[in-house]
Amino acid sequence: MTSYIIRRFLQGIPLLLIISVILFALMMSTGDPVATMGGRRVTRASDYERLKRQLGLDKPIYTQYLYWLVGNTWTKVDVDGDGITDTPGTRLGILRGDFGNSLVNRKPVMQVIGERIPNTLILMLSGELIVILGALIVGVYSALRQYSLLDHTVTALSFIGYSMPIFFIALLLMFVFAVLFKRWGLPYLPTVGMFDPQVGKSVGQVLYHMVLPVVSMSVVSLASYSRYIRSTMLDVLNQDYIRTARSKGLSNRTVIFVHALKNASLPIATIVGLDLPFLLGGAVVTERIFAWPGMGRLFLDHVSRADTPVVMGILMLVAVAVVVFQIITDVIYAWLDPRIRYD
Amino acid sequence: MPEKSTKIAILTPDELETPPLSLTQLAWRRFKRHRPAMIGLVVLSLLVIYALGGSIFLSEKFANFNDTSQRLLTPTIDHPFGTDSIGRDVLARTIYGGQISLLIGLTAVVVETILGILVGALAGFYGGIVDNILMRITEAMLNIPEIFLLIVMAKYFGGKIPELDLFGRTFSGSVVVIVLIIGLTSWMYLARIVRAQFLSLKENEFVLAARATGTPNIDIIFRHILPNSVAPIVVSATLGVANAILAEAYISFLGLGVQPPTATWGNMLDGANNYLESAPWLWFFPGLLILLTVLSINFLGDGLRDALDPRSRTV
Amino acid sequence: MSRKPIFYALFAILIIASLVLSGCGGGKANVATLIFTQEFDNLAPLYSSMWFVWTTWQMFDHWAWEFDQNNEPFPRLVTEIPSVENGGVREGGRIITMHLRDDIKWSDNVPMTADDFIFTWEMAVSPQNTVATTYPYDMIESVEAPDPQTVVVTFIEPFAPWLANLWHGILPAHILRPVYDAEGTIDNADWLKNPSVGCGPYNFVEWESGSFARFVRNENYWGAPAKIDEIFIRFVPDDASQVAALKAGDADMGTFISYSDVPALQDAGLNIVIEPSGYDEFMFFLVNEEKGHPALLDVRVRRAIALAIDRDGINQDLHYGLTKTPTSFWDALPYYNDPPLQPYPYDPQEANRLLDEAGWIDSNGNGIRDKDGIELEISHATTIREDRQDVQAVIKQDLEEVGIKLDVNPVDDTLYFASYADNGPAARGEFDIQEWSDGPLFPDPDIYYWLCDQIPTDENPTGENWFYICDEELDRLIKLQSTQVDPVERRDTISQINQLFYEKVYIIGMWQDPDVYAVGSHLQNVKFSGVTMFYNIAEWELTR
Repeated sequence: MTSYIIRRFLQGIPLLLIISVILFALMMSTGDPVATMGGRRVTRASDYERLKRQLGLDKPIYTQYLYWLVGNTWTKVDVDGDGITDTPGTRLGILRGDFGNSLVNRKPVMQVIGERIPNTLILMLSGELIVILGALIVGVYSALRQYSLLDHTVTALSFIGYSMPIFFIALLLMFVFAVLFKRWGLPYLPTVGMFDPQVGKSVGQVLYHMVLPVVSMSVVSLASYSRYIRSTMLDVLNQDYIRTARSKGLSNRTVIFVHALKNASLPIATIVGLDLPFLLGGAVVTERIFAWPGMGRLFLDHVSRADTPVVMGILMLVAVAVVVFQIITDVIYAWLDPRIRYD
Repeated sequence: MPEKSTKIAILTPDELETPPLSLTQLAWRRFKRHRPAMIGLVVLSLLVIYALGGSIFLSEKFANFNDTSQRLLTPTIDHPFGTDSIGRDVLARTIYGGQISLLIGLTAVVVETILGILVGALAGFYGGIVDNILMRITEAMLNIPEIFLLIVMAKYFGGKIPELDLFGRTFSGSVVVIVLIIGLTSWMYLARIVRAQFLSLKENEFVLAARATGTPNIDIIFRHILPNSVAPIVVSATLGVANAILAEAYISFLGLGVQPPTATWGNMLDGANNYLESAPWLWFFPGLLILLTVLSINFLGDGLRDALDPRSRTV
Repeated sequence: MSRKPIFYALFAILIIASLVLSGCGGGKANVATLIFTQEFDNLAPLYSSMWFVWTTWQMFDHWAWEFDQNNEPFPRLVTEIPSVENGGVREGGRIITMHLRDDIKWSDNVPMTADDFIFTWEMAVSPQNTVATTYPYDMIESVEAPDPQTVVVTFIEPFAPWLANLWHGILPAHILRPVYDAEGTIDNADWLKNPSVGCGPYNFVEWESGSFARFVRNENYWGAPAKIDEIFIRFVPDDASQVAALKAGDADMGTFISYSDVPALQDAGLNIVIEPSGYDEFMFFLVNEEKGHPALLDVRVRRAIALAIDRDGINQDLHYGLTKTPTSFWDALPYYNDPPLQPYPYDPQEANRLLDEAGWIDSNGNGIRDKDGIELEISHATTIREDRQDVQAVIKQDLEEVGIKLDVNPVDDTLYFASYADNGPAARGEFDIQEWSDGPLFPDPDIYYWLCDQIPTDENPTGENWFYICDEELDRLIKLQSTQVDPVERRDTISQINQLFYEKVYIIGMWQDPDVYAVGSHLQNVKFSGVTMFYNIAEWELTR
């Protein structure tokens, strides 16, 4: 098993390198971060040249990639613009843990991202929890009552659920719970931000602001997960061992929860495990609509300013998380299912 | 015939001579039994008629005609869906926008199907190092969340293609860009499916026979193995259209998709939350149309999957 | 099956509890909440050109002299504005002498001296600092302090725009110099991210990325203490949330209000304040024989375009009549906009007549004029912003009615403003008409875009004349005005430039682009400046 894990880690490295190359090439060509540093007017020519040099943007793209990867302490850079490279560089590169500084606000990328990760995790983990619980409930129920009216209604709703773009759901929810409720004088839900700054970042505030974004995000995943659980449960319920269990006289509840669900939860665990790292992407669209200060909004804001270090930092973080979680999922899968052997 | 019927069942000539049903006919029969799929087919046809037929009644000039003094009117007889922020009729824009959205959906799927088949077939058939490299690239692309890729690519390609004039109508160049980037970010799923098909089929006897008679590899791939893997490709392509329409909606909502004045259902939703309260008709109708289209395609795809490949149980 | 109701119950309790706990977020007694629609990238003077950052500097830092609501300068850190009469301005604007007030201290009780000014200049021009702009500090030969309360600035050459451009914020030398000496740069100094020591009426306290920033009254302020205890700045992503917060009374001021929201806000009892900021939206023509459409070389075609667009209609309908068509590049500087010009009226018939006279007629019946086999198809580019895209569609239709086909190109702004060296499309002259919001170096009337030597080429890739216009008379006049320190002479020169722009139709004014604020009825005494926006923030009062 250990050798399998090590092998998978080693396989992950060239994968991450390929990803970083593709993304870096794309990012560097998406626009000029210095072009908009002039505020409301075009950046002055002399400042433009100087800023490009100081931020290392005047080098060819492969040199920039190299500096991003391994830093530039082993070479000299031209700091004062006289054309002579005389000062040793100070960047360590991503392989040594230095994600660089944001081009927009000169703060270290890790600090910029680190400020936002907890906010995204709060949103996504609660969403995932609701989705899993909800999907289990809905999926099991409709599997047990296959072809009943409930099953058909739930199936139809699930289809509708994952056919809607998230922002449409969000807009509808905002319209009903914020606009209409307010018009009718009912207590209404907030639609902006994570908390009211004057009241402070209390648990109550965050929960209150979390309701609409989490529900908007959950609908789509809930719909597709519940269908998946339903079909898995149906598969399991048709197995011989279930029939044996029933014929042994076990109560319905024992059969379903002890035997069926445990076996059905295996593929579910896989799906959850593979989906979790994508949570770091932070539901870009939802955060944008609800102004939630998370990583998705950070990504959008900084992509529009062509801030390569921050964007690459976020993307690589997600890619690493995906690779790591794939390995963890495989390991857990093997541990849960004694039939699986890796060598 | 004798008046007394015998007790032994006799096969009538009709039953003896009925030819067995072909695969397509069998599939169609199974499809017809799937009620949601039939509903989906009907709704989708209605939507296509709405988008294409509507242009007979309302000209494109009308759809683009702006009169700033008529901006943001609530739905009336003159403008059944209201007007937008510069006075264009929303109904007409949903018609022409629908044409573009559906066009983007279909052409993006063409791009991603071609890419997916190429990569999957080559990887599955040749195996070895070709397979390794191609699969690494596929995995790399899969490991990045699609929306991130879409945003970054949209910024990369954005603005680089000028306006096009096709069939007497002007399209913003961003339509081509969107088709390209949706195609470039969705081929991976199909590639994996095709590769799995090739891996299992290439050991079959008909392939060995083809090799034995000296058929060139290209022919084996495209004339022998590929036709046998049509079922999952068709299903994947159908669901891919739904995914492409959704992807276009997402990216246009973020403002990076098709640029005005060319209308699509997605970019009519751009900035919609600014008009959440004041002009809900601006976002409600395009959103509803997207929902109906994607829903019916999903139903259709579900039915196709049951009809063509009843053994597959993947979601 | 009995587990499920438990889940439901828990969830319900959670929701109810949070609804009860949160209460309604309302205004605390003496705390004002401002809304910014963009988050600042950093707060340090010299390090940002963002409007949203500049606005905050009057809160915790000061300029040497600031500008009031009529954009007239008044002394702040100095005892009086240097002028020729009081000996502050010598050698035709080359040497500026400033006398500092002797009662200014930083919020940690360290007095401000001329050393802070010298340090600010040194940091601006130091190649180790990635400051946003070195202008105008790179034009200075030396900054000296004959005594701790006097600063003498010597420019390399007489510099007419010194009043508007010098000393936009002072850095505290006693805090940052040790950092500079230790690290060789102040880029990573903590003060840049947390400027807790300042010399303004408020102190910076905290900034939660993505959510808000908080300022508290500076009890050590050297001037009259501020009346409001705390100021919150909330960041919201778009106009709709800003409007909702203002209408609900959750915030006391909104910034950059879009015109379509003005009626709703006024109905809700807010005061809308419009402050000219020097910016107006213009369409700039590219007039060059090698690049651009040959039709644009003919002034009659350019004039026809100006006549064919209903700009008053755009201002009335899309901007609710809150803006007017600017007549000149100096529309926000009435002193220099003298005599004031009238904008070209909306006259499509005259436009048609001019185009016919210029020889552009529709010979092939496709609805577009042509001449010598070239179709009158012009490319127009602007950035991706909803209001600009709306206007592009309107203009396209207006021009179609006189037989001109407009190719619209909305381009993302980081791509649009990319430089010549980076193949920025505007810089490379790929568009016949460029549109963006610009103005002179407000409140100074200086301009430099149309100089012949600013045309970008491979040898001169940093040229800023993206219109590729080389007009000798214009060139001479622009160069002349930047050397004239006497305001009367300068005004005459600028009037001549204005007249030239008008007659040759090098620019078409679309609409004024002032700062638009929404001020809640509880917030009193608020005045805005177009340059130093919150200049009287210490006098603001809350009546609730």
